[in-house]
Amino acid sequence: MSFITWQYFLFLPLIFALYWQLPPRGRLPLLLAASYFFYACWDVRFLALVLTTTVIDYICGLSLGGRKLGRGWVLLLALLPAAWLGVSHLVFSFWGWGQVSPTLIAVAGALGLAFFAAHEGVWAWGGDKRNKGLLILSVGFCLAILGFFKYFNFFVDSAQNLLRFTGLQANFVLLHIILPVGISFYTFQSLGYVIDVYRGTSPACADFLTFATFDAFFPQMVSGPIERGKNLIPQLEDLGIFHNSYIHDGLRLILVGLFKKVFVADNCAVIASYAFDPQTALNGPWAILGVVAFAFQIYGDFSGYTDIARGSAKMLGIDLMENFRFPYFARNPSDFWSRWHISLSTWFRDYLYIPLGGNRGARWDTIRNLAVTMLLAGLWHGANWIFVIWGAFHGALLILYRFAPFLSGFMAKEEKLWWRRAAAVILMFLLTLVGWAIFRSASLAQLGSWFAALGNWQAGDLSWQKPSLWLLFHIAPLLLLQTITWKHGDEAKLEHLPWPARGLLYTALLLLVVSSSEQDQEFIYFQF
Amino acid sequence: MKGLIKPAFVLTVVLIVLLEVGARVFFSQDVSGRFDYGYHPDAGFAEKADGTVQLFRAGGRRFHPQSFPKERPDGAFRVFVIGDSIPRGPSFKGAYVWQLGDELRKNQVPAEALNLAVAGFGVRRCRLVLNKAIQYNPSLIILHVNHTNEYEDEREWRRSQEFKGWHPRHWLMKLFIFRRVYEMKLERVFWKWVPGRIRQRHALSDADAELAASLDDEKTRQWRQRVEEVTRESVDLARRRHIPILLVTQCRLESNPAHSPRLSDHDLDALGEYLAGPGVYHLSMKQVFARVPEFESHFADTGHLKKSGHHLLAQAIFQKLQEEGLLTGLTVQEGRATEAN
Repeated sequence: MSFITWQYFLFLPLIFALYWQLPPRGRLPLLLAASYFFYACWDVRFLALVLTTTVIDYICGLSLGGRKLGRGWVLLLALLPAAWLGVSHLVFSFWGWGQVSPTLIAVAGALGLAFFAAHEGVWAWGGDKRNKGLLILSVGFCLAILGFFKYFNFFVDSAQNLLRFTGLQANFVLLHIILPVGISFYTFQSLGYVIDVYRGTSPACADFLTFATFDAFFPQMVSGPIERGKNLIPQLEDLGIFHNSYIHDGLRLILVGLFKKVFVADNCAVIASYAFDPQTALNGPWAILGVVAFAFQIYGDFSGYTDIARGSAKMLGIDLMENFRFPYFARNPSDFWSRWHISLSTWFRDYLYIPLGGNRGARWDTIRNLAVTMLLAGLWHGANWIFVIWGAFHGALLILYRFAPFLSGFMAKEEKLWWRRAAAVILMFLLTLVGWAIFRSASLAQLGSWFAALGNWQAGDLSWQKPSLWLLFHIAPLLLLQTITWKHGDEAKLEHLPWPARGLLYTALLLLVVSSSEQDQEFIYFQF
Repeated sequence: MKGLIKPAFVLTVVLIVLLEVGARVFFSQDVSGRFDYGYHPDAGFAEKADGTVQLFRAGGRRFHPQSFPKERPDGAFRVFVIGDSIPRGPSFKGAYVWQLGDELRKNQVPAEALNLAVAGFGVRRCRLVLNKAIQYNPSLIILHVNHTNEYEDEREWRRSQEFKGWHPRHWLMKLFIFRRVYEMKLERVFWKWVPGRIRQRHALSDADAELAASLDDEKTRQWRQRVEEVTRESVDLARRRHIPILLVTQCRLESNPAHSPRLSDHDLDALGEYLAGPGVYHLSMKQVFARVPEFESHFADTGHLKKSGHHLLAQAIFQKLQEEGLLTGLTVQEGRATEAN
């Protein structure tokens, strides 16, 4: 179920009403059931993957915290995903909705048994070795699932090409694998929790229901923010009393999110899709128009999703972390990554960059750490070399910013002169646009055409003037909104305005959303 | 509950209510029938207090803005042209309807030629336009016969029926103000600033579905059958009201790299000939253009005509009207369709 469907606008009020009517002990089961229903609306089978990740990380987390479950419980939980598939198979067959493959059930069962055996084996080790073993077990299983569903064909295809390049012939089998929605998001969220428990920075969650809800909380499960256990789990353990502010803040966030998604992103997509269509003969103006359109499309799309997610959670009394903070006003690459997809960039910082050594070592160590982190951050976005190049591009920017004195001086965050600050913002935005051109290109050939088009300023067969007005029409209100909220550091914070101004703004946002309401586009980040 | 409702929220609700009332008072005509997708019986026709009828874009009927007296002036020769994008033309004055009016007046016929054609209209929606137009005492109806818009007719019918229900998908648009804002942006921003080529690609799913349907033999057979039935009904209606009707069967330009371009009527000419009889006339576009050297130069694409093509068609229709004696006895008087804006 997507946030911008009519189904969601019935689902959320229903859950909201039920949630606050129930006594606190009944709310968590409701949240879990709602979250599983929300996810199952895409594909019931993939709920087994969510359950697998949940079970593995719950058991490993608990064991890491020194509170091992009994063998029977571990076995029962390990077989839960297979049981879910089995029940789905029976229900589907009964109602004639199709079938869940028995092979799939058998694989899920085998995976559960393998995990059970491995866990019991590792538990027998004792001491620090056990903890490391449990961490490896959890990370290994979860990344194996993610790797299979997201990267199997990519790696097989790449290996095949490499062998071909070296003159060897290989015909590996490529599988038809459907990418489960949000797999990268919930896998990383779950892994973050296990690593925190291993490090001792977060307590193990003892209640399975709480942990399962943490792993599958519907507002943020499929596209983030990638939450931390220490932020979300305590909130789920203490579902408090209703405050009026929940509904005020929640609705405001949802309205701002809808504005960003429906008005800004979906309308910019009209231009971006044309400019990045392989059939389009690009020239300079269209190459620029296309990439600017995509920059605002992806920003409106993803930050809009985050705002709706935060708003939905807020209505249930839960605060999710901020994920975007005026990223196109960043003054340097490091500043950009502290404003863009914050939950992912801090995840990579905390669980990869710093463990690799961060910037504490020699210059070359830091360069290596930055490069590895950004390459993997790029690969996280999708199984395509284009994303790896995009990651490499941003890695190179971060390295240059850190070690090229001119750039680090010019783009310094502490700069006092306003015009130098403005120049740094413009330069960073231009660099970000180059990054988006890489990100949006379907292939290296298309990326090459985009760069080539920048040198072609001859008039094309399609005028760019009116489409740029279309783009401006959709970007200007966003920039105006950001000007209003800039000083308060939150893109959706409007409480500082007097109530008449807020009333007018809400009306305007609502009308802008409605003006574009018939274009039904999926969120870009669902594919990641 | 204390503090639940905030002044800003109240202001938003009040503003929406005020705007809604304003829209219903001042724009109801423009918005009425918007979600009937051309199936509203009256949309696009506004009878004014001064005794004129205005044609405007509303209810999925994107008429060229025009006006004419509700009561046909004595002796005036009032022609209504009903059809799809082909008679609608590349522009109001570029369409043959305007040129036909000029040609008639040049020949001392006091003509009002009104273009009631709307792009994408198939036989069923044309029939509804005919039902309305016939109330204004036309001297002649020119009805274009074509079968390439049946997919759109079906799709828009489905949409109109869906919208009439209380499906949550349509709740927002039940408010007039929201419809009006949506409509304004669509017509004044989207259509003006986004080139047609981009809009076409943007609507890929619709285009794909249309292509798939047009390749389905059973579907196309049903469409042809419907074109025959509804055209026959339209002819019967005109006959009952003693209004002469000219059926213009359209043709398409078909090109094959191996052969020179050729015109195809897709058996519509046979239908036109079959229906022709007392008060019912037939003109084949295929025959009109087949006798013109390099006829393909008058086509903008496979179906639409350039201005020169419209000129040829206007001439042919004028000649047909003369041959059939439809202009006999008409004298010069006041009365002419005017472009509203």
